[in-house]
Amino acid sequence: MTHLLQAADEAEALEMLHAKGLTDGLPVVIPTAERVDRLVLATGLQGAQVLGEMGPGGGAATVEKVAVSAVMAGCLPDHMPAVLAAIKAILQPQFDLTEMQATTHCTAPLIIVNGPARLACGDIASGFGALGPGFRANASIGRAVRLAMRNIGGAHPGVSDMALLGHPGKFSYCLAEDEESSPFDPLHVSMGYDIEQSTVTVLGAEAPHSVMYAGDADSSDDHLRLLTVLAIGLGNLATNNAILTGGAATVVLNPEHAAILAAGGLSRSDICQDLFERCGHTAEAIRAVNPGFSSGSKPQSFRRCFQDPSQIIVLVAGGSGLYSMVMPSWCAGAHRNAVVTEEIVLNDFCEIPD
Amino acid sequence: MSDGIAMARRGLPALALITEAFWPQGDFVAKSLGMPDIPRLKLPHPIAGTGQVKMSQVAEMLTDSMLEALSA
Repeated sequence: MTHLLQAADEAEALEMLHAKGLTDGLPVVIPTAERVDRLVLATGLQGAQVLGEMGPGGGAATVEKVAVSAVMAGCLPDHMPAVLAAIKAILQPQFDLTEMQATTHCTAPLIIVNGPARLACGDIASGFGALGPGFRANASIGRAVRLAMRNIGGAHPGVSDMALLGHPGKFSYCLAEDEESSPFDPLHVSMGYDIEQSTVTVLGAEAPHSVMYAGDADSSDDHLRLLTVLAIGLGNLATNNAILTGGAATVVLNPEHAAILAAGGLSRSDICQDLFERCGHTAEAIRAVNPGFSSGSKPQSFRRCFQDPSQIIVLVAGGSGLYSMVMPSWCAGAHRNAVVTEEIVLNDFCEIPD
Repeated sequence: MSDGIAMARRGLPALALITEAFWPQGDFVAKSLGMPDIPRLKLPHPIAGTGQVKMSQVAEMLTDSMLEALSA
């Protein structure tokens, strides 16, 4: 049973939560027993059910404790299937959550939602500004995961979360794929799920880095030039991917850029393969900027940023225009920034009357 | 839209060309700058980078409407 705090009113409760370091610095919805029970009920699960142990503090992530974070984040009952699936995903051993929470690198789990849950879980945005403010489902689902990482996992800046600067995605980092505007199969279908299934795909990611490309349909090299700039952004010599190598990373194509690549005859897997081949540097180039990371390699040997094309997660989202985004990554931990996909189970959830 | 409004305020005939994806933003800017009824024409989106042939087709398709709006 979760320990209950006592306060005279909600204003006092909020100040108490801030003082105890239980918020992300922004106001939260006070997690009263009634509000928490309502979200637990929505899951169709027992509140005491343990989803896993959350590092670095080793807290037990029960359904109830996750619901506490969800209430604080502003979640509605409809959001809970996505929240639970994301929590299950980051608790998978290959996600290396403890190490990710503790690293000095600026990494945060990026939550990508596919399938019917995009609508069922509160209309998770995938278009203009989807990673920015203004979308309740994106903000609340992502924030619930972050508050759980802080309050169940015990990640506190400078003490147990040693990110040197952090990044804004450590408040919330959640979006859906714009499957309707994509010329490719949805991301989860490319991973073997049925189109009727829903998933969260989670991987550690830096903040979005913009990649500018102005298309030119009159050029037969249109798609190749776009791939060139995407590769420059994704695997540039300043990234961990270039220096440490071997960790998964993300490419978010805006619909216009996705159309350029599709018009060039490329499938999603073709794009991953091409970026895999382009992203890399000679040992000599790495040695020039970070000598400690290429010792022993022949100067002209080519070190790829990624172990295989499947480490490059490509999705379609955002408004249509000049800018796509890349999120290089951390590349460390025992599993080197693995990608974890978890099915969002919608059938087990109960509708809760207002 | 801002350019169109600036021209209209100088007393010049003005017509804002807005692509479909930016149509709501055009409405917002027009209202914000106090000229909600400034003439505007919707273009397909995307328009930039779509090639000479497509650009010519769009221009051909819209020329009459543009002249009509500017002559009103």
